[in-house]
Amino acid sequence: MAKGVWFALAAGCLAAAAGTASAHHSVAGQFDSGKPVQLTGVISKVDWVNPHIYIHLDVEDDKGAVTSWRLETLPTAMMRKAGLTSQMLIADGAKVTANAILARDGTQQLAWVSKLTYEDGHYYQLAGE
Amino acid sequence: MIPRMRSSAAVRVGGTLRIAAAMLVTALLPAIGSAQAPAVGKPVPRLADGHPDLSGIWENGAGIEFVQPQQRGESICVSGCGPAPGAATPAARPGAGAAAPPPRPTRPQYKPEFQAKVADLTKRQVEEDPVLRCQPPGIPRIGPPDKIVQRAGEAVFLYDDVSGGFFRIVPTDGRAHRKDVEPSFLGESVAHWDGDTLVVESRSFNDKTWLTDDGAFHSTDLRVVERLKRTADTLEWSATVYDPKVLTAPWEVAPRTAHLTDLDLVEAAPCVDQDIDHIVDGSHHPNPR
Repeated sequence: MAKGVWFALAAGCLAAAAGTASAHHSVAGQFDSGKPVQLTGVISKVDWVNPHIYIHLDVEDDKGAVTSWRLETLPTAMMRKAGLTSQMLIADGAKVTANAILARDGTQQLAWVSKLTYEDGHYYQLAGE
Repeated sequence: MIPRMRSSAAVRVGGTLRIAAAMLVTALLPAIGSAQAPAVGKPVPRLADGHPDLSGIWENGAGIEFVQPQQRGESICVSGCGPAPGAATPAARPGAGAAAPPPRPTRPQYKPEFQAKVADLTKRQVEEDPVLRCQPPGIPRIGPPDKIVQRAGEAVFLYDDVSGGFFRIVPTDGRAHRKDVEPSFLGESVAHWDGDTLVVESRSFNDKTWLTDDGAFHSTDLRVVERLKRTADTLEWSATVYDPKVLTAPWEVAPRTAHLTDLDLVEAAPCVDQDIDHIVDGSHHPNPR
């Protein structure tokens, strides 16, 4: 990328973002933006791993049955440099609504999460929608 | 806020400060758009031997454009944020000039006999990406160091990358390449000073890494020359790739500007190879570096 204002702006905007050789381009081949889903539950666990973090969201249906979803999201360095931790995602078991898109291969309860909105109104936007 | 949330709130404050600092840097960037202008009145730190001290934690933004974290009260937008509320568009910033999309990075040019492989890896870049299989990214794909620890005659480059944490020990005293090392993902590096620029020459690579995110392969003949120059609070990084076995000419990597930050590295999270099994097709974001 040529030096110049645009490069400088992009670099600056990213100063708190990833210090990574991000391979974020895997998302489109793995998840289908034409299959959005909204899930509400509590986050029981966060796998703080690379190349992508996995959030475990326990969703309870009307009959009380709980289904655990795996929500893939950003690399750890990207998340950390934005000031987010696994404990902030879990939020002590607060109810959270996840906007996500389903896996292309049909794997059940696997999705890419773009936004987490907590019951008190604060949210974490993790990807474009 | 209830007591059980205090720790999270404290972390959020830290995040706020980091993002605020990043936004301040962004606001100042038009003034350093040339990426070469030294910070006025702030000298470059130097070691006792007179050479610039590149030591520091350097945030380089990874060369991608879709991550623009913003603090929005208690909320955080990490990616897909769009312009910050109330922020001027780049075109409206004084001195920014006309808004135009950044030019796409160039790609290395391959000899005719490798065109079939180029086409295949371009098409299947996601499923073949070694980084998504938790392999080291190699050089120059890994970009500038995230942290440098330097003393006279030696610099240690540290990285926190998608597939893990990595280090390079780089002699800076102008010595010759070692002959007792096996080919490796990050190669073997030596460096010398060209004025105030540290010139790092690396070789002894294996051929398991890519030059870019989008499948630009190389041979074991790869040599990479990186140039690092510090102003007070920025680090200019550029690299040239030499691989005459597969490339028609040396390839200049898009230069990057890294900015001094106080967010130190921590132990890298483990890398778990679990994404690729769910890849259905080769769709990918157009964000190669």
